[in-house]
Amino acid sequence: MSTPQVRVIAGDSAQEDRRDENRLQEQKTLVEVEHLKKYFPIRGGFFSHAVGSVRAVDDVTFDIRQGETFGLVGESGCGKSTLGRVILRLQEPTAGIVRFDGVDLTRLRPRQMRKMRQQMQIIFQDPFGSLNPRFTIGDIIAEPLVVHGVAKGREIEERVAELMRLVGLDPSRRNHYPHEFSGGQRQRVGIARALALNPKFIVADEAVSALDVSVQSQVINLLSDLQDELGLTYLFIAHGLNVVRHISDRVGVMYLGKLAEIAETDEIFGHAAHPYTAALLSAMPVPNPHRKRERIVLQGEVPSPAHPPQGCRFHTRCPFAQQRCREEEPQMREISAGHWVACHFPMGDVA
Amino acid sequence: MSAYILRRVLQSVLVLFLVTIATFLLIHAAPGGPTSIFLAPGLSPQAQYIQAHNLGLDRPLPIQYLDWLWRMLHGDFGSTFKNGIPVGSLVWPTLLNTIILMGIAWVVTLLIAIPWGIYNSTREYGISDTVATVISYAGFALPAFWLGLMLQQIFAMRLGWLPLSDMWSRGQEGNLADLARHLVLPVVTLVIGFLAGYVKYSRSSMLEVLGQDYIRTARAKGVPESKVIFRHALRNALIPIITILGLDLPIVVAGAALTETVFNWPGMGRLFVSEATAREYNVLMAITVITAIVVVAGNLIADLLYAVVDPRVRLGEKEGETT
Repeated sequence: MSTPQVRVIAGDSAQEDRRDENRLQEQKTLVEVEHLKKYFPIRGGFFSHAVGSVRAVDDVTFDIRQGETFGLVGESGCGKSTLGRVILRLQEPTAGIVRFDGVDLTRLRPRQMRKMRQQMQIIFQDPFGSLNPRFTIGDIIAEPLVVHGVAKGREIEERVAELMRLVGLDPSRRNHYPHEFSGGQRQRVGIARALALNPKFIVADEAVSALDVSVQSQVINLLSDLQDELGLTYLFIAHGLNVVRHISDRVGVMYLGKLAEIAETDEIFGHAAHPYTAALLSAMPVPNPHRKRERIVLQGEVPSPAHPPQGCRFHTRCPFAQQRCREEEPQMREISAGHWVACHFPMGDVA
Repeated sequence: MSAYILRRVLQSVLVLFLVTIATFLLIHAAPGGPTSIFLAPGLSPQAQYIQAHNLGLDRPLPIQYLDWLWRMLHGDFGSTFKNGIPVGSLVWPTLLNTIILMGIAWVVTLLIAIPWGIYNSTREYGISDTVATVISYAGFALPAFWLGLMLQQIFAMRLGWLPLSDMWSRGQEGNLADLARHLVLPVVTLVIGFLAGYVKYSRSSMLEVLGQDYIRTARAKGVPESKVIFRHALRNALIPIITILGLDLPIVVAGAALTETVFNWPGMGRLFVSEATAREYNVLMAITVITAIVVVAGNLIADLLYAVVDPRVRLGEKEGETT
């Protein structure tokens, strides 16, 4: 196995390709999301009644396979974080189904759901806000073990030390408080906490966005090493494609509460079919000053998710929009094996 | 930690010293001295001067101040101009009476308000929350003299359940059951006035904490909701509540002049009002200084409690005392 540093910098090595193949051979689906919706009511008027709703997640269907990393990208406010939280039922869905290992999470009682949380965890974006300032690091990491009753006394201490070593923290600092750690270290604490119960599935909700670039790659490498060691499945949420590229097996692109495109990572980066994906790709910096590229610069603002446009949600900003896009909402369809796109006129589909 | 305490105590002493100067100057700058108020009107200027001289009021202000401060440091607040009663014997009993009334009202308020606020924070805009809002408006809007009079009218005059005013019934001094009956109406008046702010405050303090990311983290861990509220949220929400408690501690001592007057409660607030009209400098200054000491002490206690509750405030703590 190549060292983590080399892997990120060199990207596609032959070894990594093999690893990916191994991973994709297990085609068992771990998480199935069907027609998931999350609307937030907008309250107003004299009696604070609902006067409308923000459609943060609007009819999203996809699945995540066991052992893979599913990258989810989109601009801020597109609903990707909400999607991650609704999948874990940290927020209640408005409609739709989430199946985890065949179990419909949306129907579980709170008690059953809490038990289920042993298997699914989340790493939050903000390493400063997501750790309780009144708790020591040791208490934060130990708490899942305590509340789920999986370890006692001495075992807890040992497990905490083991987890801290696993994420590269010095176990002797377990009695320190979060404010005594740097951002990267705090994120490691968040990862250790998420791993405490040996979960199968982890949602990394912009887990590296708040960190500076050098620390970002450390944390990404850590996540990907842990995946190899522990056989984890990730939903990796990010707003930039470059972060997602290095860690994901498949990528989903989200726009205004809906998935625009889903495909394997290479396919997305090689043959983006949705104009929005293409625009995101063209905004990625390329470390080569001589390479000239055609850039697709999107005009205008993201429309309000309270009043999404008719037809295709992207038509107001799409450089290729036609009359049909304004009238008819495109459905997800498979344009090649495993490559799904919601667009009437996918790119590269030269007629 | 001890360096932090020492620094805060020294700061407090300095503040108190400045308060004594300001108190002294302000009271002596107020128009209408004691000689013109309580001595016979129409007294000749000579006679007035002699009176002032006998009371030591003709000396230069700095001398008067230092004399007053020096005696006060020895526990002597001087005596009243009118009857020559030692101020201490006048003020200390009223202070005790005020602490009994206000302390009970305050503790009752907190025992109701903080749990209620916490409960409301978990059911925002629910029935209980709405009731609290209505009571808040009422509590802020109803002045103590009106509410107190209404309660007297209903429960003492019409129904005759409770005594109208005073602290003891005649001949019942020292009977705690009698004291309790006399406490009910003034305490209810005060609690209704205080309650609103504290319920709202503990509610919003909890709501702010409940919106934090680490609360979501706790829920994601699978922590039961009761533990999320009491272990994770309350510990953090207590800090701003402690601040307010520290800042409000002085009301326990300074008293509520209006409520004490309405219920004829022999407390320090009522004493202050009556002695202010009589220009009894020594009494006024004694009450002001006692109040100031409590204000400063309240702030000091709040600061020290922070250090207990919030690890980030433990200044000067040694790194790596952990194993």
